[in-house]
Amino acid sequence: MKRTRADRAGKRAFAGWIGKRVLGGILTVLLASVLIYGALRLVPGDPVLAMTGGRRLTPDQIEALRHRHGLDRGFVQGYLAWIGDALRLDFGMSTNYQTSVTSLITNRLGVSGPLILYSAVLAVVSGLAVALVSAVKGGLVNRAAGMAAAVTTATPTFVSAIGLLALFSVGLGWFPATGAGTGLADRLWHLTLPAVAMAIVAFGVLARVGNAAFAEELRREHVEVARSRGVGAAAVIRRHVVRNALAPMLTIVGLLFASLFVGTAVVETAFGLDGVGSLLVSSVSRRDFPVVQGIALIAVLLFVVVNTLVDLAMPFIDPRVALGGAGR
Amino acid sequence: MLAKKTPAREEAPDGGAGTRRDALGISRLSLAVGTGESEIPLLADVTVRVGRGETVGLVGESGSGKSLTARSALGMLPRGARATGGVTVSGVDVLAAGYRELRDLRRTRVSMIFQDPRASINPVRRIGDYLTEGLRARGVPARGAAEQALDLLGQVGIRDPKGAMGRFPHEFSGGMLQRVVIAGALSTEPELLLADEPTTALDVTTQAEVIGLLKEMQRAHGTGMLFVTHDLDLAAAICDRVYVMYAGRIVEESAGASLFGAPAHPYTRALLEASPSVHGGRAEIKAIRGRPRALAEAPSGCAFRDRCPLAGDECAETVPAHRPHGTSLVACLRPEQVTP
Ligand SMILES: Nc1ncnc2c1ncn2[C@@H]1O[C@H](COP(=O)(O)OP(=O)(O)O)[C@@H](O)[C@H]1O
Ligand code: SF4
Ligand SMILES: [Mg+2]
Repeated sequence: MKRTRADRAGKRAFAGWIGKRVLGGILTVLLASVLIYGALRLVPGDPVLAMTGGRRLTPDQIEALRHRHGLDRGFVQGYLAWIGDALRLDFGMSTNYQTSVTSLITNRLGVSGPLILYSAVLAVVSGLAVALVSAVKGGLVNRAAGMAAAVTTATPTFVSAIGLLALFSVGLGWFPATGAGTGLADRLWHLTLPAVAMAIVAFGVLARVGNAAFAEELRREHVEVARSRGVGAAAVIRRHVVRNALAPMLTIVGLLFASLFVGTAVVETAFGLDGVGSLLVSSVSRRDFPVVQGIALIAVLLFVVVNTLVDLAMPFIDPRVALGGAGR
Repeated sequence: MLAKKTPAREEAPDGGAGTRRDALGISRLSLAVGTGESEIPLLADVTVRVGRGETVGLVGESGSGKSLTARSALGMLPRGARATGGVTVSGVDVLAAGYRELRDLRRTRVSMIFQDPRASINPVRRIGDYLTEGLRARGVPARGAAEQALDLLGQVGIRDPKGAMGRFPHEFSGGMLQRVVIAGALSTEPELLLADEPTTALDVTTQAEVIGLLKEMQRAHGTGMLFVTHDLDLAAAICDRVYVMYAGRIVEESAGASLFGAPAHPYTRALLEASPSVHGGRAEIKAIRGRPRALAEAPSGCAFRDRCPLAGDECAETVPAHRPHGTSLVACLRPEQVTP
């Protein structure tokens, strides 16, 4: 049959398209890894001296360090050794903690992971709810929401963090000021203020971008046509407005994860949380390069994975994004 | 009033629009947006009647208020618009209807077909979803809705209806999509069909097919139809009666067939003369001088007088009342100079 042949061709094209996307993602990560490794080699002066921060070491110790970090080899060989280990999830030893970078990061992810997720859920739910309500209601509600979005977008995260600490922790005493807590409920309680602090900017961005996307979909003729057919108001919003705004929203939410990951640096430091973000900050100041490199590579990986997943989801959300759109 | 005096159709019992037997009765509808100084009138004294199973044309250049009139039958007025007069669909007072009443009216009694089928159907949902959405809103259970949708797709001439149900709008041509829209419009067995330039966005060969289908479906379902178009010839050919609209007012009402031979309003005649299909040769087409006006920017008295070759001083004094002339009802002081 003609259709089945077309279907099979379509499936092949789809598989090819997925392959291309995944390959593109891998190349991006590899390119980023070269830059991340290169940054270490580009540190002015001897990276080992930078690492040791001027501590006096015997020439033997220095040589051992140089060897451990592949600095006694050329750039290419050194990079290949590093990335080869990284592929096996071995990022070397932390010069500061004297433990494996991998286990260090893994432990810290137990705090940062829930923090990012918690914050993402808060931002997405509140941001999109405000975006939808303001787009549908219009008028004064819309103006108020626009103002709230502008203010929250412009508030630096460290300012939010200090404000929240002062009010809810020091002032009202509702939430703890430091620590990540143990057990699920306790951890959620401890992570609430940091998550809110991180979510504030993201909320503003989502409220604004979401409002624009929903408003645009509301103006579409098929929305009016649906109303003209007697489709109920709630169903019109669900099936013709929210459904159609899903594609642009998903793209934004994908980008959001990357920015939240970066945001942990400020928030974890402010709230005294032992997460990946605060580890990054302390490792940079202590010139613990293996840790910095490991975190940077994981951040890039996370970013690429999320965006590739978003890309792969697109044709299922918007059928007009042809699977053949691979060509673009 | 207008509806009563027009010949060639049954008597309307209360002499105006809005009898129970009529699919649509619009009587002396005036619409305006804004208030006080900044008030913009959109429609004035529009009276339109569509009997059960009747095909009625609404013709005029763009901006004359055809879409506003048609939409008023659905209770879809411009944001912030004030309306006076009456609009009834199968006896239901549309202007007084609340959200629920309007919603139910749209679900069961009146359907509208818009100009651009590609804009009418949600591009990210399937054709099947579009069709069943209307049926489900009416309370048809999911299984039954799917079966009915399949049946309708077959009726409007979509090949492979089963496959079509699962496909998306971008996989269809404009003509095929308009067939889907027609199927959707008739799926609810409405008493009134509003077709707002349903073929304007289609190419010429498809236009004839879609019109044919529309007429055929309308006849089969016994639906009254208000056919909105800027093409007077088309309207005259397929409609029982035709209303000609200019600058937010009805300027002539006539039996469809007699329009060609005996236009009563200078504007109607100008529309006919500007039409290529009546006058085979290119040279004979006479464009109407000037540009069409919206009600808000129309001159006082007769709105057409700045473009009318017959205009005289008295045309500026008052808006001409409708009066019978030949087989028409016409709002002009000198119809005898158009057709004696
Ligand atoms: N919401 C509105 N506010 C102000 N003017 C409007 C609105 N809707 C339509 N109009 C005006 O009313 C006139 C008639 O519009 P319409 O009914 O769409 O004309 P047609 O369908 O005959 O081309 C146009 O001049 C248009 O600009
Ligand atoms: S009333 Fe006067 S201006 Fe108006 S159409 Fe008739 S002749 Fe022309
Ligand atoms: Mg129109």
